[in-house]
Amino acid sequence: MTAKSSYKVLPGPEGYLPPAAATMSVMLPDPGEGLVEGEIVPQEQAINKIAEKLLSAKNPTFFPGPLVLWAWKDGVIEKAVAAKELADVVGAKIIPMPDYRPKYPMINPEIEINPNHPNLTIWHNKIDVCVFVGVHCHFANIALKIIRGGTSCYTIALCGEMGHEDAMITLRDVKADTIRKITEAVKEMKAGGVVSG
Amino acid sequence: MVEQKVLEPEKLFFETQRTELFITGSEVVKEAIKRANVDIAISYPITPQSESMHLVGDLYAEGYVKEYFRGENEFAVMSEVMGASMAGVRVFTATGGPGTLRAFENFPNWSGSRLPIVCAFMTRGVNAPLSIQPDTIEMAFMLDTGMIMFHAETGQDIFDMILKAYVIAEKTDVHLPIGIFMDGFFVTHTRDKVKVTPEEFKLPPYKPYCSPIPVMDMENVPVRHMRDPFVMKSNFISYAAHASWQQEILAAVERSRKYIYRYLGGMVEVENKNADILIITSGTAVSQSREAIELAKQEGIDVGLVKIKCLRPFPVDEIRELAANAKYIIVPEFNRVGWMCRELKSVIEDNSKVIGAPRVFGGMTMPPKLILDEIRRCAN
Amino acid sequence: MKGLFKISPGYEDVMPQEYLDLVNNGPYGKNYGVDDLGTFKELLEEHPLCAGCGLALSMRLVLASLPAPEDTIMVGSTGCSSLAFTQVAVHNIHSLFGNQNAVATGLKRALKIRFPDKVKDVVVMAGDGATVDIGLDMVMHSWFRREKITTIMLDNEAYANTGGQESGMSQQNAVLNMAPTGKKFPKIALPEVAKASGCAYVGVVSPAQPKRLGDMVRKAILIAREVGPTYLQLYSPCPTNYKFKSRETMQKIKERMESGMFEVMEYITPEAEAFLAEMKEGDKQ
Repeated sequence: MTAKSSYKVLPGPEGYLPPAAATMSVMLPDPGEGLVEGEIVPQEQAINKIAEKLLSAKNPTFFPGPLVLWAWKDGVIEKAVAAKELADVVGAKIIPMPDYRPKYPMINPEIEINPNHPNLTIWHNKIDVCVFVGVHCHFANIALKIIRGGTSCYTIALCGEMGHEDAMITLRDVKADTIRKITEAVKEMKAGGVVSG
Repeated sequence: MVEQKVLEPEKLFFETQRTELFITGSEVVKEAIKRANVDIAISYPITPQSESMHLVGDLYAEGYVKEYFRGENEFAVMSEVMGASMAGVRVFTATGGPGTLRAFENFPNWSGSRLPIVCAFMTRGVNAPLSIQPDTIEMAFMLDTGMIMFHAETGQDIFDMILKAYVIAEKTDVHLPIGIFMDGFFVTHTRDKVKVTPEEFKLPPYKPYCSPIPVMDMENVPVRHMRDPFVMKSNFISYAAHASWQQEILAAVERSRKYIYRYLGGMVEVENKNADILIITSGTAVSQSREAIELAKQEGIDVGLVKIKCLRPFPVDEIRELAANAKYIIVPEFNRVGWMCRELKSVIEDNSKVIGAPRVFGGMTMPPKLILDEIRRCAN
Repeated sequence: MKGLFKISPGYEDVMPQEYLDLVNNGPYGKNYGVDDLGTFKELLEEHPLCAGCGLALSMRLVLASLPAPEDTIMVGSTGCSSLAFTQVAVHNIHSLFGNQNAVATGLKRALKIRFPDKVKDVVVMAGDGATVDIGLDMVMHSWFRREKITTIMLDNEAYANTGGQESGMSQQNAVLNMAPTGKKFPKIALPEVAKASGCAYVGVVSPAQPKRLGDMVRKAILIAREVGPTYLQLYSPCPTNYKFKSRETMQKIKERMESGMFEVMEYITPEAEAFLAEMKEGDKQ
């Protein structure tokens, strides 16, 4: 098997066409683990890191995708509510990604984000930390690479499936419960004196 | 029809009691598909593939496959399985040689669309002149389609690779088409001992909503969705989106490595890896090499063997490591262009030691003596 | 209504207006038709087609006439219409140029397996080049096999998206790219081919008669649901490539009707006719 990667998944702008982290040998976490900047860590550690990043952000923003925006199957509403609560606790803005159709130049970066040109929304709103939740894996990865290429935004991907190497922090198998754990971590940090950026 | 129960892949592959059958490669395809819980299989005749899809048709008649029909040509068949896969079912088809080339536009399209289609390729020569005989030249064309590619040497490989391909192809982080290549006639039409899992067990069904991309059924979101949208406006933003999409396909191929290790036990099989002379190849060229190595041994020449099971992703690190200490690397192939030799030369540091011979094509067999001649040249 | 048309609680305020409109005033489950246009949020959000394009109008009319948009999956093909398809709020597939009826075949059969007791309408809508030239074998074979899908051709008598080349549906003698001295053979009689190939319903109409078009779309889809394949040919010559003014598209169609170059027609098998009658009876009860 491929040797352990030395590639770091860090905020950009990384350049003209940054590689997919997976092709730089960054591996996805196994169940119970998370990925922080290209390194596999226990899930709890990744959760704390997420809480820390959210609290230290100047303009944290959640990008909920179709899988949570639409109440299309059982369990979605609970997850959507948990994500909303976390955003509220952090004081984060919510900008939705309701679908994946290429919209440029019709995009209104003030109120929406699109996976084909996510940088426009990030630049326009000066977003320094963002959270992907409920975005189909393929489109999340496309967007995360473009964000790393052209912006300095710190990316966090809460994935219901297997996670995203192209995010700076990712959790896998994320359910409403997992999101509530992050909310708890944020609350604890706040109680411990950490103030929102 | 035997009543079948769903069994977790790990258990089905590694824990069930296997039975040994003595059957042809085409019959092995049938045995694998019988256990693969396939929803739709679509066929089109071409030698040497036809028999395998006749047998899959029998599975449909018996009730193991839910839907089956003969399409109008290979381009259409590959499009038909694509439509079915986008609607969220598990599919199977097979082709070979000219059929592969007739269908070609579909293969990068399957990969780009992240479809976990499993397709068997029974390789043969391509025109002109027309030949129905064994030749692996079509694999040269397939290397850059974005598909994952396995190359079977034996009937056992066919069985294991087809069944395991479904499990690997359908992982959310991979979710790509897999081609299982087998040398026409040499394995499809010859009998071999094959250990098969009990027929009363089948793979769990495909889970459409674990797909990394929406399923076209108007039962999942978003409803405003085209598979797959163009990003083709003439501006940098569109180019960057298209490029990122292509990178994601490459990334998905990379992610399959860990599953190939888990289910196929690795990307290569190695015998006597410290020998000065190594033969590295795939498919039935491996079987011929085994014979040659045996002949060499009788002459006191020590030769190692590396069988490459997976061509995409390519076992780059494995090959580099194995090649580092060898003095000579012999690459026998069943095609004129020597695609395996090219692949190896592109990753081995000192590639002057790679010998692209012997090569046979047009249906010719590869007598072990041809390989032995190369071995002798290296030994002297 | 299915959950996929409901916004999760707490996110209503951040959803773009187009989606609020679609949820609150969209056509899903409503049985709207052409007459209702202007009163509800249409499925086509926006499109980049040329001013005066009859395809854009035909698409809007077709989308407004779907009998069950909440359970309709569409298949398009490369061409002008596919540029608008990305903006359509029903699942749709753009695959390769010409393979639309093959893709639709696989799709329909798969949906039948997954949802045996549910209506899932599969509607193909593609240009004349995709339907009558590059994809003709797959179009005809889907009819021969009696696939229960509706095939709609947007006939603008040219390959418009690639810059105005002659197609099988161009008129004889038309001078276009790739036919520099005029087209050498007549417009292909695909409706006749469709009849002979097993279609249960065949229609030719234009967006100049929107109500009739809507009515025919509905028939074509309902018959395909229960009886067999159906074919609809929607005529509107391309203003950009035939170089007439964008506001003249409808007038051109009418002139061609008057001169006999274009005729509205309908063909229905007795079986399909009986099915429609039975349905009407059912509606009354």
